[in-house]
Amino acid sequence: MTPHPRLALPRTSRRSLLTGGLALGASMALPGCAYIRDDVPVDAPLPKSAKAEIDGDLVYFNWADYLAPKVLRGFQEEFGVRIIESNFDSMEGMYAKLAAGNQYDIVFPIAKWVVKLRQEGKLRAIDPAQLDNADQVFYAGSYFNDPWYDAGSRVSIPFTVYKTGIGWRTDKVSSMTGSWHDLWNDDASGHIFTLDDQDEALAMAALLLGYGVNTAKASELAEMKKLLISQKDVLRAYSSDDINDMTGGDAWVHHMWSGDFLYLRQGLANDPTKFDFEAPTEGTPINSDTYAIPANAKHPGTAMVFIDYLLRPENAIRNMRYLYYPFPVKDALPAFSELAKDVPACNVEVSDLENENVYRLLSADDQQRRSATWTEVKAS
Amino acid sequence: MATVAATDRAAKAPRSAQRTWLWGALLALPTAWMVAFFVSSMAIIVLLSFGRTTNDGYPAFALRTANYRAIWNDVYLELFVRSLVYALATVVISVLIAYPVAYTIARHGGRYKNALIAAIVVPFFASYLIRMYAWKALLSDEGLVNSGLRKTGLSDGVTFLNTPWAVVGGLVYGFVVYMILPIYASLERLDGSLIEAGKDLYHGPVRTFFSVTLPATRPGLYGGILLVFLPALGDFVSAQLLGGANTYMMGNLVQQQFAEGQNWPLGSALTVGMMAALTVLMVIYLRATSTQAREGS
Amino acid sequence: MRTRRLERRPRFGVFVTVLFFGWLYLPILAVALFSLNDKKSLSAFSGFSLRWYDDLVHNSALISSLVASLEIATVSAVGSLVLGTMLALGLERVRGRRGRVIGAVTLLPLVTPEIVTGVAALLLFTGIGLKLSMTTVILAEVTFSIAYVTVIVRGRLAGISMEVEEAARDLGCTPFQALRLVTIPTLVPALVGAGLLVFALVFDDFVLAFFTTGVDPQPLPVRVYSSIRFGVSPAINAIGTLMLLGSALLIVAALTVPRLFNRGTSSLDLITGGQR
Repeated sequence: MTPHPRLALPRTSRRSLLTGGLALGASMALPGCAYIRDDVPVDAPLPKSAKAEIDGDLVYFNWADYLAPKVLRGFQEEFGVRIIESNFDSMEGMYAKLAAGNQYDIVFPIAKWVVKLRQEGKLRAIDPAQLDNADQVFYAGSYFNDPWYDAGSRVSIPFTVYKTGIGWRTDKVSSMTGSWHDLWNDDASGHIFTLDDQDEALAMAALLLGYGVNTAKASELAEMKKLLISQKDVLRAYSSDDINDMTGGDAWVHHMWSGDFLYLRQGLANDPTKFDFEAPTEGTPINSDTYAIPANAKHPGTAMVFIDYLLRPENAIRNMRYLYYPFPVKDALPAFSELAKDVPACNVEVSDLENENVYRLLSADDQQRRSATWTEVKAS
Repeated sequence: MATVAATDRAAKAPRSAQRTWLWGALLALPTAWMVAFFVSSMAIIVLLSFGRTTNDGYPAFALRTANYRAIWNDVYLELFVRSLVYALATVVISVLIAYPVAYTIARHGGRYKNALIAAIVVPFFASYLIRMYAWKALLSDEGLVNSGLRKTGLSDGVTFLNTPWAVVGGLVYGFVVYMILPIYASLERLDGSLIEAGKDLYHGPVRTFFSVTLPATRPGLYGGILLVFLPALGDFVSAQLLGGANTYMMGNLVQQQFAEGQNWPLGSALTVGMMAALTVLMVIYLRATSTQAREGS
Repeated sequence: MRTRRLERRPRFGVFVTVLFFGWLYLPILAVALFSLNDKKSLSAFSGFSLRWYDDLVHNSALISSLVASLEIATVSAVGSLVLGTMLALGLERVRGRRGRVIGAVTLLPLVTPEIVTGVAALLLFTGIGLKLSMTTVILAEVTFSIAYVTVIVRGRLAGISMEVEEAARDLGCTPFQALRLVTIPTLVPALVGAGLLVFALVFDDFVLAFFTTGVDPQPLPVRVYSSIRFGVSPAINAIGTLMLLGSALLIVAALTVPRLFNRGTSSLDLITGGQR
């Protein structure tokens, strides 16, 4: 499961342990015994796009604290509607609630989940012609006209992109080599953290060994398992609380998300030079968030207006200054370069999205094998 | 009065029958509830432990022992032993804390006794998670506690977090009240003169304790041990918030299967295994401590 | 208890007790203090500010979680009170093996690790096709709170001699009337105490809620737990402090209200089952 980029403060919770169960539980809400289920449709028809006009309050479903409060308040004031906010704390959780029939107007799936939701007919089309600011993301030559997760960009708008690398304390460690091997650095023994996330940890090991980040081959997984277990000699803990681990001083070297690092260094730290970030040369996992309109949304028109509103460069800039993650809104990108200028390694080029290090939807069997590997790593 | 006597005679004969009828009826609804929700939920765990996961990633009933074969391996057994050790440590430390605290309050609390006990109970039933997270912030390498240690020159900084001790500390923090309350209750019921007599007889606080106080409070102690050991064994929060790379407990393993791991049948098998082990331990314990334990719980 | 000055105040005991209280309250004070911090930090206090409480009031997601938690705790307390009292009455009066077996089964939840009960509840609800929701949380919480009520009420009942009831029966009451007019009133302190206790327990419970929450707003502890894994925002500190205060008030009420009804009852007896 892909981690979701977190805000430093307030934090979003990415993986909820509950949501796994929740996902299956809610989606199994069929009459009768739920452990004998029907199949969900694949390649379902695509409901048409709505017109961009206000048709009620916005029922908004996102990670907690994922948009700048000013931006949300601004929308409510300008259009005279309320934003009714619900939060999920993992992709499984979001999916579960959608599958249970809840009606949200706008949701924020991670790339590979757009694939799944689209396949099952749970999203409706978004017609860029309805949006004044569509050219901010869908300009000529933009990658997002046809991203890998949404052919023809019919159901989603890109939200943020981020990469996973390594953050470290420059005042404690000086022997960093720019490789994922740095997570085995003896000088920082006992102060090294790996993200407590299956996809990220496995990807890190896979990249070190030269495998694909989505690999589910038994032989490769076995190698990755051995490698990760060997890390435990120097590893302090698996933790996704990267920002607080660093500020608390427990972590000198932390497997970390780029936006979190930027927030740590630029937004929180008293002395920014104490922290640095590297994007290892073996490759870094890249991920992207999107926003989309569910097929059963009650107020899709308002949702379209909201999307257009978010695409305004000034709002994208506000969000970036709040989240420290880049929004691929053309006129807002220079502002992000400004934010990230001291840490070029945190920059995510759109071209990065075209490489192979993105998390893709896998078959259940593959997923199981990967889960088993991760469980064994954690339990050993 | 005549009417009373008449009613009395009339009521006497069927009274015992009526009485049992009422109490039996009262028993029926809650029992039905417990069967419907508790007993059947346990049964489903057992049923699903033989299940499988479909191609779409959903759990389904089946009849395979693959899950049980999967849990019978060195790694998981080691995890079980580790959890046992942590739980035992939790019990021992809890007892070491509970006796002095309960004794001091019971025998020397005077009119503040109830207030003191309330002062213990109140935090325990309030926001466990927040308090645990506060410990995380307080005990981090550059947090308040370590800064204090460095400033006063007491130490160069201690690694508190992400260690087995942090996990056990978290477990004690969460469960010690369940040891204090039963022991306190036993001590309260104790006749003070018994201890006085013991002191006269044994001439020393330690010997008095072992020869008089301890045996007299045995029911409380046994109750407390059960209430602390079993839940601690299956705990996952402490290891998750405060643990390190090598402090994974059984509870974490089970929870992993229902969350990220998405393998409910395996998770069910692990749960069944855990409950079986717990039951065996409990039976051994109850036998060893004989009937007193049953009365005390 | 007779206080006899013959027994010296044990310095060791007092020392451990003081240390214990310090250990117990240190994080609570830290949380309360940092909820008033004007910066986001959890390691340095820089000034007083109520901004996090202000944030909290405007955070509709947290507020709806709080409301959900209150609802769940209230309904669960009432439900488990009713069922637990019925159980206690039945168990205390019914003799024989049947009673003992049922008694043992109802105490099982107390010694079962929460993760097992959480998983069990989840599997049951999804297995019968019941959509996870606030209702399922309540059903699960009631099931696992009955044991607390039963223990407390039984403890109180054990002290009520059957003779009082017999006397009522002699005066012409039916068993049901005796129950209603004699036994229950005597039980009221225990019921109040048990109800408040269950409310506090359920309000703060997260493992069970975690597994059985559905589409409705998550109960507060579940939301806190989710945040904690990734770093707590000061607004969480604020709500944590409020939760602490709320639970504290409830526990204090649980322990003192019964005394108002019945002076001489040691409030702790209700919880520990002791009798004087």
